[in-house]
Amino acid sequence: MVSETVTIINPTGLHMRPAGLFASTMGKFKSTITIENVENGKPINGKSPMAIMAGGLSCGTEIKITCEGEDEAEALKTAVDLVKSGLGE
Amino acid sequence: MFQGVNASDGIGIGVAQVAVEPDLSYTPNAHGDPDAEAERYNQALNKFVERTRAQAKRMAESVGEEEAQIMVGHINMAQDPFMIDEIQSRIGQGMAAEQAVDEVCDMFYNMFAGMDDPLMRERAADVQDIRTGLMANLLGKEVIDLSVLPPNSIVVVAELTPSMTADIDKDNVVGIVTETGGRTSHSAIIARALEIPAVLSVPNCTTIARTGDTCVVDGTAGQVFVNPSEDELADFRKKAAELAEEKKALEAYRGKETLTGDGEKVLLVANIGNPDDANGALEHDAEGVGLFRSEFLFMDAKELPSEEDQFAAYQKVALRMKGKPVIIRTLDVGGDKEIPYMKLKKEENPFMGYRAVRYCLDNPEEYKVQLRALLRASAFGDIKIMVPLVTCIEEIRDVKKLVEECKEELKAEGVKFNPDIEVGTMVETPAASLIADDLAEECDFFSIGTNDLIGYTMCADRGNDAIAYLYQVYQPAVLRSIKRVITEGNKKGIMVGMCGEAAADPLFIPLLVSFGLGEFSVSAPSVLRTRKIISQWTKAEADALAEKVMKLKTAGEVRECLEANAK
Repeated sequence: MVSETVTIINPTGLHMRPAGLFASTMGKFKSTITIENVENGKPINGKSPMAIMAGGLSCGTEIKITCEGEDEAEALKTAVDLVKSGLGE
Repeated sequence: MFQGVNASDGIGIGVAQVAVEPDLSYTPNAHGDPDAEAERYNQALNKFVERTRAQAKRMAESVGEEEAQIMVGHINMAQDPFMIDEIQSRIGQGMAAEQAVDEVCDMFYNMFAGMDDPLMRERAADVQDIRTGLMANLLGKEVIDLSVLPPNSIVVVAELTPSMTADIDKDNVVGIVTETGGRTSHSAIIARALEIPAVLSVPNCTTIARTGDTCVVDGTAGQVFVNPSEDELADFRKKAAELAEEKKALEAYRGKETLTGDGEKVLLVANIGNPDDANGALEHDAEGVGLFRSEFLFMDAKELPSEEDQFAAYQKVALRMKGKPVIIRTLDVGGDKEIPYMKLKKEENPFMGYRAVRYCLDNPEEYKVQLRALLRASAFGDIKIMVPLVTCIEEIRDVKKLVEECKEELKAEGVKFNPDIEVGTMVETPAASLIADDLAEECDFFSIGTNDLIGYTMCADRGNDAIAYLYQVYQPAVLRSIKRVITEGNKKGIMVGMCGEAAADPLFIPLLVSFGLGEFSVSAPSVLRTRKIISQWTKAEADALAEKVMKLKTAGEVRECLEANAK
């Protein structure tokens, strides 16, 4: 299991399009992907755009991404890079 | 004739196609074989995804990539592992597929509908769309398919959902009528993007009009005529043909700079009321935004919008306008604009009372929320701050002091903003006009708000028909005031614009060219026409006309003279 904390930088937060991009990218990995809002610690399924959107993660929120499975290292790197890049915005 | 909300301009004449939502009721508490139900659900989901994918493709071609993304979002949401798990686990416990889908959609609907972020609340409508699609597939009902309508169709529907709009074929649909929705609803935005005349919020339209009825949709006036007389129909046909001709001729001015007859460049921008209007401004070839009324953010809310909410809205406009100038007017509360949660006291004379900049300066902590949001958004485009209802120098100085305070705060927080953001005044009172020379030294720009300037100068309420003869931009007192503001602003080298209706008045434009107006801010659909009229006047011709007009003593004479010389 590996994890890393990143800050959401895209201006509108994780709404439909960024959440969709994140979930569909992470869906290609075998590992389970979990996002946690560092402030309130509720775990969110990182492959579910609905769950991500429902998490209400806005710009500036710190999130901890955890990956667990055979391709966890690669999955985590992809996830962190994606969030840091502003999720296509 | 039926009156509704004018949501998309133009006249559409055609045959009504009344689309009624399919009956999606099911037998509750029915049990089924879990494996068979799971399979039915899978098939319904596959069919939904296939259909939505086709819609997205069509939409990308007809409306644009951005709108097509809404449909792609529907696919992502319907295929969401969380959603599928919730539905499958209910089915696994013996629930019928219909009820499982309905319950889970309900759950997501309530979740999104209850969120603070307005962007997220919009997702509730998407969940409804997904529910309708899945349920119709499970029940073997057809969802309304607007992609196969005959030519000259007028779509009459209770509510236009995003998936329905995705189906609309621009070549066959000449008008849209709905029972719900306002000017800023999704349906209205799509109708304008497709340039299909639309009238929304016509009560009971789906029962008034029957499929096959001849209908006229006047999207400009917001009126719908069902089975009009031959005479009425002939009138509308003529009007529609004239509109089409004019529109075609104006296309020659698209993509051009706005130049006077002798090649002097002026700025031609649009007035907008909400971030989505920015698209309309661009579609009509506006060179920026001359007035973004920030009130919508406050009026649509239940409490003071947060800095984040405001920032998101301003940033959206800044990004859409891609570096073009965007003048945002700070909160213009009071007068006729009431915002219930602000709990302003009822006043004897609200138009001369506690409003606009007066309210804002008295509540600096609230005002700073807006100023901070504007400054933050200025990192994403050419945003300028405009202060409404200024009547004395202290007001603009005080606002500038607050802006400086906000800049210091943001700097300390390490937040990006444009340190040279322009702060200007909306000139809409006789007081501001009379001190325009001094005011110009404190401002980066002026924008003349003719609607209030006429009202305050003539002491005449625009809505009062009994004194309509006073409420005219052609009144000599108003003309002198406008000329003075432009002259004084130009002397001090600041930009002077106009964001009232007069800036798009074909009769008035030559006077503005003569006075030296630098920026014309008009409603988006007036952009091309205004560009054409400005191009017809050289400075010398406009000056000759202005010289004559400024000697006239009455509004009637002014109007007559302008009409006689109109091109």
